[in-house]
Order: sequence, then C-alpha cells, then structure tokens
Amino acid sequence: MGGVCSRKRDQQVVEDGMRRGVSGRYGKSGSSKWLLTSFSRPMVVHQPGLANCPSLMELCIHKICEDINQYSSFTMLPKDISQQIFNKLVLSHLLTDVFLQKFRDCALEDVWLGEYPGVQDSWMDVISSQGTSLLSVDLSGSDVTDIGLGLLKECSSLQALTFNHCENISEIGLKHISGLTNLTSLSFKKSAAITAEGMCAFSSLINLEKLDLERCTGIHGGFVHIKGLSKLESLNIRCCKCITDLDLKAISGLNNLKELQISNSNVTDFGLSYLRGLHKLVMLNLEGCNVTAGCLDSISALVALAFLNVGRCGLTDDGCDKFSGLESLKVLNLAFNNITDACLVHLKGLTNLESLNLDSCKIGDEGLANLTGLSLLKSLELSDTEVGSSGLRHLSGLTHLETLNLSFTLVTDSGLKKLSGLTALKSLNLDARQITDAGLSALTSLTGLVHLDLFGARISDTGTNYLRCFKNLQSLEICGGGLTDAGVKNIKDLPSLTLLNLSQNCNLTNKSLELISGLNALVSLNVSNSNITNDGLPYLKPLKNLRSLSLESCKVTAAEIKKLQSTALPNLVSFRPE
Amino acid sequence: MKKEDTVKLISAEGMEFVIDKEAAMVSQTIRNMLTSPGGFAEAEHGEVTFPEISAVILEKICQYFYWSLQYSRGKETEFHIEPELTLELMMAANYLHT
Repeated sequence: MGGVCSRKRDQQVVEDGMRRGVSGRYGKSGSSKWLLTSFSRPMVVHQPGLANCPSLMELCIHKICEDINQYSSFTMLPKDISQQIFNKLVLSHLLTDVFLQKFRDCALEDVWLGEYPGVQDSWMDVISSQGTSLLSVDLSGSDVTDIGLGLLKECSSLQALTFNHCENISEIGLKHISGLTNLTSLSFKKSAAITAEGMCAFSSLINLEKLDLERCTGIHGGFVHIKGLSKLESLNIRCCKCITDLDLKAISGLNNLKELQISNSNVTDFGLSYLRGLHKLVMLNLEGCNVTAGCLDSISALVALAFLNVGRCGLTDDGCDKFSGLESLKVLNLAFNNITDACLVHLKGLTNLESLNLDSCKIGDEGLANLTGLSLLKSLELSDTEVGSSGLRHLSGLTHLETLNLSFTLVTDSGLKKLSGLTALKSLNLDARQITDAGLSALTSLTGLVHLDLFGARISDTGTNYLRCFKNLQSLEICGGGLTDAGVKNIKDLPSLTLLNLSQNCNLTNKSLELISGLNALVSLNVSNSNITNDGLPYLKPLKNLRSLSLESCKVTAAEIKKLQSTALPNLVSFRPE
Repeated sequence: MKKEDTVKLISAEGMEFVIDKEAAMVSQTIRNMLTSPGGFAEAEHGEVTFPEISAVILEKICQYFYWSLQYSRGKETEFHIEPELTLELMMAANYLHT
C-alpha cells in the first residue's frame, strides 16, 4: 500500500530552462540556480523551531541500514517496506553490490539508481529478479551494457525506464526493450550510441507517453519508427543538432503531442509548418533554433499552445506582428533576440501571459507601456535591457507580479518606489551597480519577498536596516563590497534564510560568522573574499543543514573546513577552498 | 488517571497495556479507531486488540509513543531499538502508521 502511495513519478511539464529563465550570469557561485542543478538527490531542510519527530518506521529503517550486515534477505517483508529500506540505502549511499543481493526477489517496484556510483551489469541480475513487480528503473550514468539491459526483458510490467548517458548501451541493447509494451516513459538522454536504426525498437512501445532523447547525436531519420506511437504526449529532443526539418515531418502525425522540445536543433521555419496539425500541443521549445518570425504563421495554428520558447533565435522586429495572434500563450520566452520596443507593441493583446522573458532584448522604457494590460503577469524578466527608471511606472499596475528581474538595467534608486505597490513580489533581482541604500528604502512594503538579489548593488550597513522588513527571505545576495560586520547584525534576524551570499565584502570578519551562527536553516553560504580566518570556522558548527560553503580568498584552509565537515557539518557536500 | 483519558492496548497473547490516550494517538491507525464517529467498538470501550502484535513488540511501541511525545516537546533523545526486534517492530509500525 505505502509503496503505491509514495510513488512519485517524474512529472516535469515545463522544461526547466523556461522556468528558470536563461541567464548567462557567471561568477555567482552560491546562487540558488546553481544549487538546483548540483544536488540531484532530495535534501531535508530543517525547519527552525519545529521538532520533527521521526516515525517509528523511519527509526526502524535507520536501524536496519545500520545493522545491514546482519540480514541475509528481505524477501519476508511486505514489498512496500523493503522498498523503503532500499530507498534509504540508496539515499544514504550505503547500497553496494553485496547489500543489493539481500533484495533479490523482494518485489521492489522502483529501482532508482541514477548517478549512483558503481552500478554495472553485475547488479542487473538482482534488479531483474523483481520480475513483474518492477515498475520503474533509473540507471542513468551507470556502466550497464546491452547485456545488462537485456536482463530487464522479463520485467514486463515496467512503465518507466531511464538510461540517461549510459555510454555502454547501443542499438543492439535497445532491441531488448521492444517487448516492454507497458512502458509509458522512456529516457535515453545523451546516448551517442542510439541510432536511427536503433529507434526501430521503439515502434512497438504503443503505450509510450513520454520519450526523452535529449542530446542524442545520431537519431536523425529515426522518427519514422515512432510514427505509430499515438499516445505520445511529450517528446524531448533538445540539443540534438542532427534534427532537421525532415524529422519534424515524421512526427507531424503524432496528434496527441502536448509537449515538444526541439531547441538547439537544425529545424527551420519550413520544418515547423509540418507541426500545424498538432492541435493539442501546449508547449513548444524552439530556443536557439535557426528560425525567424516567419515561423509564427505555423505556430498560430497551434490553438492549445500555452508555452512558447523562442529565445536565442535571432528574431528581429520583422514579422513580429504575428505574435498578436498567439492569444492563448501563458509563457513566452523571447530572451536574447534582436527585438526592440516595436515588437512589444504586438504583445499588447496577449492578456493571458503569466510569464514573459525579455532578457537581453533591445527594449527600453517606452516598450514597457505595452505591458500595462498584461494584468496576469507573474514573472517578468528584463535583465540586461535598456529599461530605466521611467519605464517602471508601466509596471506598477501589474499587481500579480511575483518575480521581477531588473539586473543590469538602467533602473536607479529613484525609480524603485514605483514598485512599492507590487506586494505579491516574492523574487526581486536588483543586481545593478547604481542601486544603493536609498533604493532599498523604497521597497520596505514588499514584505512577501523570498528572494532578494542585490549582488552588485552598493548596499552599506545603513541599508541593511531595511532588510528587517523582509522576514520571509530565503535567499539574499549582497556582494557590492559595502558591508561590514555591523551590517550583518541586521541579517542575523532573517530566520528563513537558506542561501546567503555576502562575498566581495572584504571588511567582513569572523564576527560576521558569529552573528549568522543562529541561521540554522542555511543550506548555502558564501563569504568569499573577506577577512574570515580559520578561527572563525567553529561559529559555523550549528549550521547543520549547510551543504555548500564558499570561503575563497580568505585566510581559510581546506584542511580546516574538512575538519569542520567531519566533526560538525555532515551535510556539507561542496566547499571552497577544497 | 481518569479512565476516559486512557486506552487499553491488548497484545496477541492477551497482555494488556493501559496508556494515555494522547500517547496512543501518536499512531494514525489507533487515532482513527478511537475518533471515527459511530464506527469502531474500540472507540466505545477504549480498548484495542492487536491479534498480530506480540507483547514484547507492543511494549516497545508504547515506549515509542511516549518517546515521541517527549520528542515533540523538545526533548530530543535517542530511541533505542534492539536489533532482534527491528523487523517485527517495523511491520507493526507499518500497520499502525507510526
């Protein structure tokens, strides 16, 4: 019972690039974006002030993992319990090929060993012994070969199979999965050995709903084999340079497609005309494709389309009037195109838009006037544009805005009071050199802020007084160089902080570490380029949730951090200097 | 201790454990039995019989209930589990949603 309830299938609907916004920012190690991509395993964040009592079940499982040598087999346990033990061993990196043997014939449903060290063919015997109970397997990054993959043939109930970047799997191995007709999800990201011919094995997988071949380099021409997969809803062939217009022709009949990602491929406007019949398509990702606004003709035929990514396509204002027809769009990514205010005129009527990304477009204050009617906007990305203070008045009516990025714009302190009414804001990026304490003082009404990025802003100790208004802050970056220990006093009372970046404030001393030692929710801390020394490290001991610590260009040694890691910070997985 | 504040948990062998209702309610299963309106006889009599849980395990479970109460009140001690009990205890915990 528990096994079924606890099942958590990969349900990514929107490609992550679209959510995160694509930003070429560098040098900001310790930012939340980096954290998201670095830790693939789930983490437990301690909620301050909430004693979270472990269940008896958890305690027993913990105990079993501790005494794992004493058990020879778990077959006598109900399968949902052995599943929990298995998961715990994987999560705590205790599972070895020897311990795996204890799970032979345990009727496990999920074997998720993606990126797990040491997985190879010798593991497959036990994995396949789960037989028809087995529903999902993830062996990404493993050394499993075609022979190992072949052992899964008997597991006929399999619904999800993930073999991302497994270099030893070739088209010969793929033949083995052609009988797994219950598969609904199949993923072979970055598998150079997958060829057009090999894709023949997919043709019998009639229940397939999701196919992921991102970064496969040899699949051009293989799509004729999936023509009959009428249940296919999601196809990801991002970053497959080999994909051309001809491949789009092959998939043009997949009428149930809801999600199609063909970013960074070789498709053109002509190829996209093959997609006109995909009336259920909700999401189309064309980022980095060599298309022009001419493709909008074909895209207008996609009546259900809600998410469109045409970032980095080299679009100009030419033909952009066609955007006005895409009224059902909720998310539009236009980042890194050569469009100007003249293009924004045609977005005026897209009143369903909830997210608009204009990062690095050639737009300015006047263009923003066209956004005033987009009252459902929750996310607006204006980074690296020519938007300045006078443009912000056009945003003051967008009261649903939750995320606003004004980094590297021309916005100055005087403009920020136009934002004071945007009280739904949760994330605000004001990473720009000309922003100072005065600007921050205009924002104290934004008490719902969860993320505040003042990376390059010139915030001094005085300015930190305003931070006290932002009690919900989970991430904060102030790296303009103007902070001293006195300013950190105002940061220590932000109890929800999980990410704190105070690097480049070279006057900060160990006193700062002492001050923030009570912020025990912190997961990532960066105080690089400061006066911190080894003597300050013991102050970090209470920060049990810390996973990332950066103290580059300080008088701190790797040896001392390692000592701290082994004695007090068990969750620390990444630190600098290392 | 008032009778209505306690419950009686009865093991497979018939061994009776009288404990605070508050402690027993740590178990989601027992909580449901004791609180669901007009349902279980257990709710009326304040007695629950576990024909598949032995006395030694039920005792350990009662210890856990009290440990859990203390834990959530901030007294974060360690709960000791004898290795030979673990498997049986785990199956009981599974049944009791504990």
